[in-house]
Amino acid sequence: MDEQQIIEGCLRESPVASRAMVEAYGNLVLSVALNVIGNRQDAEDVCQETFLQVFRRLDRYDRERSFKTWLLTIAYRRSLDMLRKKRRFSEFSARAKFEPSVISRGGDPHPADPEPLPSALLERLSPKERTALCLWANEGYTAGDIAGVLTCSASTARVYLFNARRKIKALLEKDHGLLQNG
Amino acid sequence: MAFCRTAEFLYDALPLRSVRGWLIRGHMERCPGCQARLVGPEEARDLLVRPGRLGDPEALWRRISVETERAAAAPEPAPARAGLAWRLAAGVAMAAVVAVTGFWLLREVERPGFDAMAVAPADRFEIDYVNVGGEPAQTFVYQPQGTDTVFIWATKTP
Repeated sequence: MDEQQIIEGCLRESPVASRAMVEAYGNLVLSVALNVIGNRQDAEDVCQETFLQVFRRLDRYDRERSFKTWLLTIAYRRSLDMLRKKRRFSEFSARAKFEPSVISRGGDPHPADPEPLPSALLERLSPKERTALCLWANEGYTAGDIAGVLTCSASTARVYLFNARRKIKALLEKDHGLLQNG
Repeated sequence: MAFCRTAEFLYDALPLRSVRGWLIRGHMERCPGCQARLVGPEEARDLLVRPGRLGDPEALWRRISVETERAAAAPEPAPARAGLAWRLAAGVAMAAVVAVTGFWLLREVERPGFDAMAVAPADRFEIDYVNVGGEPAQTFVYQPQGTDTVFIWATKTP
């Protein structure tokens, strides 16, 4: 099933098409939510809410736009809503302070890890910067594409991405310096 | 190198997104020195959760299908009714506050004994006469107890 068939099927409320959509885009939405929120359970809730909203509002989808960008816009907004509701950043930063292994490297150092998490370094970025970094690194999105998801200008998206890349680089270098000195 | 430092200084000194976007597009995206101070895509991917590492989305589908069936069985919620009710309630509350405040102010002003003659003048406050339309006006001065606020109410003499 290609994207258009999936969309047509979902508009007819076909369970097969709905399943195909989740299979095609489920991990993408979950990874974005996970990278923005930093918490697996909340990210799964966001993922579920995103797809339910997509199934309900698919008739409003503008075919001129990229479906993936539209889907990710919903996922991003849902993630922001979740962050506002939960305010779990304090827990996230607390874990970063007491679990150096989480700080030092990426979220899934063990391939067999059943629940990979993003690095705690990302917690130093704003949700917009995290989203921009995630879309750029994982999906190869340009500033223009990121602007479509964040609903801002390409210039603004470029600034979010630049800030994210600069902050992370500085943090990695600081981290590296600490490891060498300590 | 000097230009890189200038660009970076301007970037930090001017927190305007349009200026920053222009600096990035005009210099930082093209300059290898500036690019070296940014995390690369590979390094960034190591810090992020990648879709390919999340396994089979079967469990996700099971969750979503249960919710989809539940949503289909439930009646459609009435759209925007709640919002309308809240707006109505806020409007009524605001009108009530305005009415009570207005009533209290009018009652205080119109109370006998609150004219200029009856109320002791506030410290360093003097009013010799008030004209309305070129004629001496009927003037009331009101100072609430325990405050330094003075209200002057002047109407044309009938």
